[in-house]
Amino acid sequence: MTQPQRDRLARQQAELLRALLTDGPAPKGFDPGRLEVEAKALRAKRRRVVAMIEPDVCADLADRFVPLFTEYAKAYPRIEGSRARDDARAFVEWLRERGHLPKLSWWQRRRATKNR
Amino acid sequence: MLESRELGVGIGWRPEIDITVERLPGVDFVEVVAENLNPDHLPESVVLLRERGLPVLPHAVSLSVGGAEPVDRKRVEHLARLADVLDAPLASDHVCFVRAGGLDSGHLMPVPRTREALDVLVANVRTVQEILNVPFALENIAALLEWPDAELTEAQFLGELTERTGCLLLVDVANMYANARNLNHDPLKLLDDLPLERVAYVHVAGGEEHDGVYHDTHTHPVLPEVLDLLAELVKRTKPPGVLLERDGDYPTDTDLAAELRAIRERI
Repeated sequence: MTQPQRDRLARQQAELLRALLTDGPAPKGFDPGRLEVEAKALRAKRRRVVAMIEPDVCADLADRFVPLFTEYAKAYPRIEGSRARDDARAFVEWLRERGHLPKLSWWQRRRATKNR
Repeated sequence: MLESRELGVGIGWRPEIDITVERLPGVDFVEVVAENLNPDHLPESVVLLRERGLPVLPHAVSLSVGGAEPVDRKRVEHLARLADVLDAPLASDHVCFVRAGGLDSGHLMPVPRTREALDVLVANVRTVQEILNVPFALENIAALLEWPDAELTEAQFLGELTERTGCLLLVDVANMYANARNLNHDPLKLLDDLPLERVAYVHVAGGEEHDGVYHDTHTHPVLPEVLDLLAELVKRTKPPGVLLERDGDYPTDTDLAAELRAIRERI
């Protein structure tokens, strides 16, 4: 009975989340200023959680933490079913691939894998 | 249907302040974040509070009842099981969605206030109620943006929701305050128009302004303006309970006790 309603609502909600989480186009009728405020707030919340899980990485990056996390977060929005720990790990890997953190030696990699 | 059970003044139980909550004076009930607890291995502190006879209410954040998808039964079953083992008088979540299009917002997002979205919400809430063995309460959220083309006011939307599903309301006065600050909503008009006879209990929390936006952080002291809104609610109805939510930057036990006292003075 609610299927057509569900389908339309699903499109609207997905469009809004894409705009907020991935810099997708602003959905029609929304105030762009408010979208920006909400996008920033969601990113800040996600960033705080990652900083809590990886305090050393956050400290190492210092002033670069916020801009780098913003870049990462827009490229890789949290997907359904992902956990905060996965997010933190993915961010660290993303940083290493781009040379923002020293690459791990083979034995550090092995230890990191073991600890998962 | 309405539980007339008195709850009194409570605080959100968090692992970081478990001992504080155990020894704070004037705590009549607590709330736990449902997703953080395993019904088969309850934290010792929560067991202790139950043994003392304190009501422990599970509060969910991930059911996404305002989402377009049918609710995830596993998540609801977790909440139901937790409510059962805690012998809770009720369980709750928010009027919001958190997931859509395969993405997870990581926070509580507002639902469009349209008839269509209300129909979906009602259907989802009914599914939750079929699974739960206790009454279900829904909380008004703090939003930073508004959907265009609203067909109903927030009071109408929540009013119809309670009427059609029989759910209870968890009124968060700090969220009402945030919406007043950020979205120019009129919190007194909302209090006037809400079906306050359906209030299960009330949330109070702190926040702060940052770059002209008020954030409902739960990591700052409760503002006097939020307590004033609580007093306005109390003028209109006697809520069965009022609960302080604190989620980080925990102050001293003395400060928390003072916040609980300030709440008690208003009710």
